[in-house]
Amino acid sequence: MTDQWASANKRWAVTQEQLAGWLDSLAKVRTIIAPRDVSGVLLFRKVADSSQVAWGFGRTVMSVKEAFLPSTERLLTIHKTGQEVRLEVELAEGQQIIFGVRPCDARGVRMLDAVFLDSNPVDPYYAARRANTALVGLACRQVGASCFCTATGGAPDEAGDMDVMLYETGEGYLVEAVTERGRFLIPGGEWPQTRQPRPQVQPPEAAFTVPAREDWPRFFNQAEYWDRMAERCHSCRVCAYICPTCRCFAVRDEALPKPGEYERIRCWDSCEGKNYRLVAGGHRPRSVKGERIRNRMFCKFMYFPEQYDLDEAACTGCGRCIDACPVNLDITEIVTELGRLA
Amino acid sequence: MSDNPMKPYLGRLAEVKDLASEIKLFRVELMNGGCEAFQGYQPGQFAFLSAFGLGEAPFGIANACGQGNTLDFAVNRLGSVTTGLHEMGEGDILGVRGPMGNSFPMEAFKGRDLVVLGGGIGGAPLRPVIQTVLANRADYGQLTILWAARHPSLLVFTDEYEAWRSAPDTRLHLTVDQADPAWDHNTGLITDLLRKVNPSPKNAVTITCGPPIMIYYVSRMLGEMGFSPVNNYVTLEARMHCGLGKCGRCNLGEKLICVDGPVFNMAEVGNMLETFL
Repeated sequence: MTDQWASANKRWAVTQEQLAGWLDSLAKVRTIIAPRDVSGVLLFRKVADSSQVAWGFGRTVMSVKEAFLPSTERLLTIHKTGQEVRLEVELAEGQQIIFGVRPCDARGVRMLDAVFLDSNPVDPYYAARRANTALVGLACRQVGASCFCTATGGAPDEAGDMDVMLYETGEGYLVEAVTERGRFLIPGGEWPQTRQPRPQVQPPEAAFTVPAREDWPRFFNQAEYWDRMAERCHSCRVCAYICPTCRCFAVRDEALPKPGEYERIRCWDSCEGKNYRLVAGGHRPRSVKGERIRNRMFCKFMYFPEQYDLDEAACTGCGRCIDACPVNLDITEIVTELGRLA
Repeated sequence: MSDNPMKPYLGRLAEVKDLASEIKLFRVELMNGGCEAFQGYQPGQFAFLSAFGLGEAPFGIANACGQGNTLDFAVNRLGSVTTGLHEMGEGDILGVRGPMGNSFPMEAFKGRDLVVLGGGIGGAPLRPVIQTVLANRADYGQLTILWAARHPSLLVFTDEYEAWRSAPDTRLHLTVDQADPAWDHNTGLITDLLRKVNPSPKNAVTITCGPPIMIYYVSRMLGEMGFSPVNNYVTLEARMHCGLGKCGRCNLGEKLICVDGPVFNMAEVGNMLETFL
């Protein structure tokens, strides 16, 4: 799809000022979410105009997941009066643009789509946000120290999951319309079209190979290995929260200030948590930490792809979990080690 | 299901009665579109019940479709949601989402002998199977029910045992782990009872539900008795927060109990059962 658009000459060369001006004009009619410095933490947040964008950013601390699957969101408002109950649902409204999406994060959105959009039943909360949101991607000029997108099938300049794709050229940006929705965002006449080729990013060679899905069952009973990994793990779950594809959630009811009113919320959760599977009777499967680490690894490389009919791993290679883990558990080391053990 | 599968239908509690110690039967009359959604649901399917303000949890539907315009649920008071449900009375409103999950292949069971093994409240999702067989008695072979609980006070559906016993080609065997002075049936684990009853695997299928440890050992014993894994059915449960294959919580390997199950045969999950314990 990308190549068709490109060959139809949908490519423009713009300066930094033109790009900023474009964002400013879009910000007047839509919500713009972009990498922003929030007290020293780089996050995707609403920006009022281009001056609030953290230009020159590398990788945000959190992925764009939270724009579609917020860490906490309200599913229902519950009104109880006597024996009567009334339920209210509010879905997200208003058009928005996420600016500066890295290819690994856009790929993460594709994984979330597989869960919330492409398998029945469709999740209406996710679907509303997805329908209202355009992705403006930015290719990586450099590959970060912990990045490994090429090992999981991605690329630092992959445009396929974007609506608009930007490439830094040195003098400015090359802009590509990837989808029709992206084309409508671009002020056609005002920008000079170009036949200039995409700048090439030389991705590092993949440092390891992810074993084929059918090989994973052979790693299942390496209990000694998983337990050794687990000795370090705090079950803090930071790996899951920052992961672009971890989508497990919990649903619970909370009281609102007004008597008789409650909200039903869903919030992120993770299979790394000790009580994740605890049932009211006290039964707790996967009570051993090593089993939980194993489950998360298997989910990324085997279960998730099988459950949602994907022909690729549910790991984008963004490397966030490597940087964030307080005890240096490294997904690339685990996968490499498994390949060696089998 | 409605266009928002996370939004429950409303149901009115038509009847609440004690089933066993701390276990109540809730008879729910569906409102606002729920009737259509639950039309034609199958034995083995489940639903989420909401105690609004406290949360929701999944429960096996405990009656066969078409036996009255209501859904039965057996609820053991254990956590916050089930405590909230237990505090409700007739006429109160609760939420119902479903029907969810797959079901027992009752059509394929026709002409075969059935061995039904229920442990404690695990008997609840098996009751629609028993009801379906008894309502279409000529379609099925011998029905052998092995029904167990930790204690006589925890046996569910006791007021239906007489009807089960007196149905043609139907046997009911009861056991409890710990008897009381009034108990005049078997004492011991359901595996002891299974060994004693010793059902023939010839042209027979088994259906088991109970605590995970019981499912594990019963399934192993059935295998040793010659029941092939494909004829050895279980219905599993797990903590779930959506029932729609999205929240990720109920996985058993690559299977999601909520959408791929809750009914499985041992050929499908036999090698994963240890992770379920």
